[in-house]
Amino acid sequence: MIMTPRLRKFALAAHIALSVGWIGAVAGYIALDVAAATSRNAETLRACYLAMELIAWYVIVPLALASLLTGLVMSLGTNWGLFRHYWVLISLLLTIIATVVLLVETLTIGYFANVAADPRTSDDDLRALGNTLVHSVGGTVVLLVILVLNVYKPRGMTRYGWRKQHVKRPDPEHKEYM
Amino acid sequence: MNENLDNHARGEETHMGNRPSYPGTPRWVKVSGIIVIVLVLLVVIMLLTGHGPGRHTSSGDAGSQVVLSIVMDGHAPAEGGRG
Repeated sequence: MIMTPRLRKFALAAHIALSVGWIGAVAGYIALDVAAATSRNAETLRACYLAMELIAWYVIVPLALASLLTGLVMSLGTNWGLFRHYWVLISLLLTIIATVVLLVETLTIGYFANVAADPRTSDDDLRALGNTLVHSVGGTVVLLVILVLNVYKPRGMTRYGWRKQHVKRPDPEHKEYM
Repeated sequence: MNENLDNHARGEETHMGNRPSYPGTPRWVKVSGIIVIVLVLLVVIMLLTGHGPGRHTSSGDAGSQVVLSIVMDGHAPAEGGRG
């Protein structure tokens, strides 16, 4: 179903806000992650691990799921489609992978927070706990790749998209596109 | 952005009459695919040879020491453990 221009603008604004918010939230998370990786102060470490869990569960995960959902709406509600153009298909796959890795990573983050919240955890144990920098920095790179794909929209149709394109004549005004 | 979209659509429309065959996968997709495959292989090799990032710890296997010390202290680790 193709959205009306007004609805399409609203959905696009929501998708941009949620997606950019996702990147921003991860940037804030990385600041805490770096502090957890470098600090030797037990109180700082305790605060970082607890804040990392809060940001992950109450900001990053909701933004990731909402971004994925609005991305699906934008694809299916316009002539771009979900499987017609390579940049859309690759963006979808990368978003799904990033979301799945994020959800799996919340187990580690939750574990760190539980250990940090335990008053019996010693300072040495806190210092040895570790960080999630590999995943948070890697995730940011993936999100930036998705952003670039969505801005530049490189040419290239899938075989499915090519077939569909030659079965159905496009709107001459191209109004269905974003 | 709209100019880009219009170009896409115009290009598609000019082919409507003679129905050309599928031009194939674009070069940027092939190059990106090769890069991803190489990166995945590198990560797999690093993990198999023990040179990977390990278990999210910055100091070797220190994470397991934390689990051990907490369990020995009579306190079970968090449900779900590490990811």
